[in-house]
Order: sequence, then C-alpha cells, then structure tokens
Amino acid sequence: MILLESHNVIIKTTLADKINKPSSLDVSFVDYDGVRFRLSTPERKTALLLSMQIRCWDELVRYGALDVLRREYGSLLKDQAEGEYNVSMEIDLEQVPAGAEDREAFIDSIALFKRNALAAPFELAFKTQKELEEANAGQGDLMQIHYRDEEAIYVQAANDRVTVIFSTIFSDETDRIFGKVFLQEFVDARRLPAIQNAPQVLYSNRDPPLEIRHLNLQKSEDIGYVTFVLFPRHFSNPAVAATTISQVQLFRDYLHYHIKCSKAYMHSRMRHRAAEFQKVLNRAKQENTSAEKKTVRFVASFI
Amino acid sequence: MSNVLRPYLAAVRSTLTAALTLENFSSQVVERHNKPEVEVGGSKEVLLNPLIISRNENERVLIEPSINSIRVSIKIKQADEIERILCHKFTRFMMQRAENFIVLRRKPVPGYDISFLITNTHSETMLKHKIVDFIIQFMEDVDKEISEMKLSLNARARIVAEQYLTAIAT
Repeated sequence: MILLESHNVIIKTTLADKINKPSSLDVSFVDYDGVRFRLSTPERKTALLLSMQIRCWDELVRYGALDVLRREYGSLLKDQAEGEYNVSMEIDLEQVPAGAEDREAFIDSIALFKRNALAAPFELAFKTQKELEEANAGQGDLMQIHYRDEEAIYVQAANDRVTVIFSTIFSDETDRIFGKVFLQEFVDARRLPAIQNAPQVLYSNRDPPLEIRHLNLQKSEDIGYVTFVLFPRHFSNPAVAATTISQVQLFRDYLHYHIKCSKAYMHSRMRHRAAEFQKVLNRAKQENTSAEKKTVRFVASFI
Repeated sequence: MSNVLRPYLAAVRSTLTAALTLENFSSQVVERHNKPEVEVGGSKEVLLNPLIISRNENERVLIEPSINSIRVSIKIKQADEIERILCHKFTRFMMQRAENFIVLRRKPVPGYDISFLITNTHSETMLKHKIVDFIIQFMEDVDKEISEMKLSLNARARIVAEQYLTAIAT
C-alpha cells in the first residue's frame, strides 16, 4: 500500500456489518489530522448516528463545507450536530439501497465523510478559477485551513491556476532531513515523461513562499512549505477533480507516513547489522574447554 | 574492496595487532585497583604514543595504547547531511547495546564517531586476532551499510513521489 486511502475504513466496515445485522453500538474513533468520529445508535438499532469533529470546522463552513456535504448526503445530514461534535448525519439502515452495487456506493460515500468536508475549499477554488478565467484577471482570496495545531493548508485561485500550499512541521532532525530527501524527489519526479502532466511541486524550507509571506508566519528550521500548482487540466473534468482533491488533501499524511516507514526500515536494518557484528565478535570468544584433561604418561620401554 | 581502502585497513590491522600486547597492571595510584590506564591517564609512564591513521580528512582511526588497555576510535565518512544522520543513528544504536559488544565503549572520544576499549582481560579471554578481525570488519561494513541505507532512502523517496504524482496526473 503506497498510496493512502481517503475513505475511513472503520466507517466502511462497521456500516457494511450493521446493514447486514443491525445491533446497538457506540464507537468512537479517529482519522488523520486529529479528526474524531462517533458512530452510535441513540434511539433504535436501525438508526445510526455518525458524528464528526474536525479542528478547522469553522473555516470549512466559511468555504462552503455544509453545501458540499448537503449535496453529497442530502437529507441524511442533521441540522443539529451532536454535542462535542461539529456535524452529524443519521443513517437509517432500513432505507439503504437494496442492490449490491448501490449499497456499496452508498457505504463508500458515507466513508468519505471527512474527505468531502475537507474538499469544500478546493471545490470553491476550482470554481473561482473558472470565474477568474472568464474575467481573465485577478486573484481569488487566500483560503486558510488550519487542519492541525501548527500546520495549515493555503489555497488560492488565480486566473490560470490554483495554488495549494502546505506548511508542515518536522518534529525531529531525522524527519527534517528525510523530509528534504522526499520533497526533493517530488520536485525532480516531474522530469519523467510519464508524469509530465502532474502538478508542479515547489519546496522551500524555513522561508514561506511569496503567496503567504504577508501572513507573518513564524520562521523556524523545522517548518517546510510545499506548493502544488494545479492547472485547469487537473480539475476541469469532475472525475479528475475528485481524485486530485482526494490526493492533495492527504499529501501531508502521505509524506509523514513514508518518512516514518523509512525510519522503521532503517531501524530493522540496523538491528540486523548489529546482530551480524555480534556474531563476528562472538567468534573471538574462546570456547570453554572444560573437557577432562587426561594425564599423558610416559611409559618407559627401553628394556 | 576498493584499492584505496585496502592499504588503509591493512595499516589499521597491523597497528592494532602490534598494539595489542597487553598485560595485567594494577593501579599505581590507588591500592588494589585495576583500571584501564588509557582511560584513567593517572600515570603518564604507562601510556604509549597515540597514533592516527588517516585515509582522508573525513576518515581516520585513533589508536591509543597503554600497558593494560588500548582505545580505538573511528571517524566514519560522512559526506552529506543524510550520511551524517544515518551514521549518528547507527553508532548510537550500537552503543546502546554496548554491554553485548564487550569491547565497545558507551561514548565515543570527542571528534570521533565510535570508540572501542580493549583491556588485558579481553585479550586474555578472547582470541586476539579475532578481535582485530572484528574491528576491521566493522570498519568495512559500516561504510557499506550507510551507503546502502542512503540508496534505499532515495529509492523509496523516488517511488513515493512518482506514485503520488501519477495518481494526480491521470
């Protein structure tokens, strides 16, 4: 599994399970970026209540998250969210589509709850870009989504492109150096003919890119900025736009996931190598020759 | 093994073999104590001349002999930031397991990456030429291991980047 999945596995499996066999449940679980979910049956076994708490909910609402969710889920979405959570939806298990394929599509769309909420600013930016393209000038507003404590996504539309900037923090020096290697590859990978159409990736360490320089962000060696420049070909077609959004959203998690994987791999290698050295050193140890010593007797035989 | 590496390792090997002539020696300062003199440094007359064998400015070995112990410190090649961090991780990993590697010192001598301390007890309980073999093999493998880890990191980064961008491009 190289690419991360944008749906939530727990929602998917639980839902599939409960459709077949409804029973009362109450589970809380999490997703990337500190998103919390709760799946419960407060009233009856067939009415599932799914609630989500997301750190940057207020910002997402400002960029139209409610409209996107309403479009995706329609009447499932509840007006009043469950306490402690930002948004809730009620799934009536008796009204789930009957056909196997329809049912699967329904479950998948529910499992994309978080992805759809986070998609709002991107969709808004794509729309703004179209408007600006007709006007042939100008720039959209800079949208800020503080989806983690100290990390944020910035999205800005212009007349010919949409710029997405991630700020990310590397918690220790190893992460920082590994991150630099990975990001350098992202910058270089576009030279390959197969992915020439991929968005342009820029990477800067410490100094924020021009677009967000006026925000006066705190400068530190541990912060990296990654810029994706999306051109209309990445989002003109709705299906392509959907994959682009799903992938771009998960960039930060993807990067850090692979940094951690590399560290784990290095560790297992070192463990193996240390064991090899141990073997070499053990060869130096003298075996305890505690075998019984036999006295050699000299027998005179000169008679 | 490259042609440059061979004379370097050969020089380290013969120096170590020559220096590993250790004998039991009780402390002259404290009665009924027996300590590695090279670490204590209390009596100058039992220390021998330290010796540095350099391959280039980034790779060298310091051998400090004394009457009952010898300290070998190795500076490992670190060409860039990645090699530096990998080398640091690797030596730290080894040194945390120093009790298993009887001759390994828990901390390197300043200016070096990893140090070994061989005392007369070690040379009595273990085969001398095999201890030398161990140190030579360590020097040989550590460079190889670090460059392999670096390559695998780069390879992984490339695949990760390509996969991600392919997913967006199509």
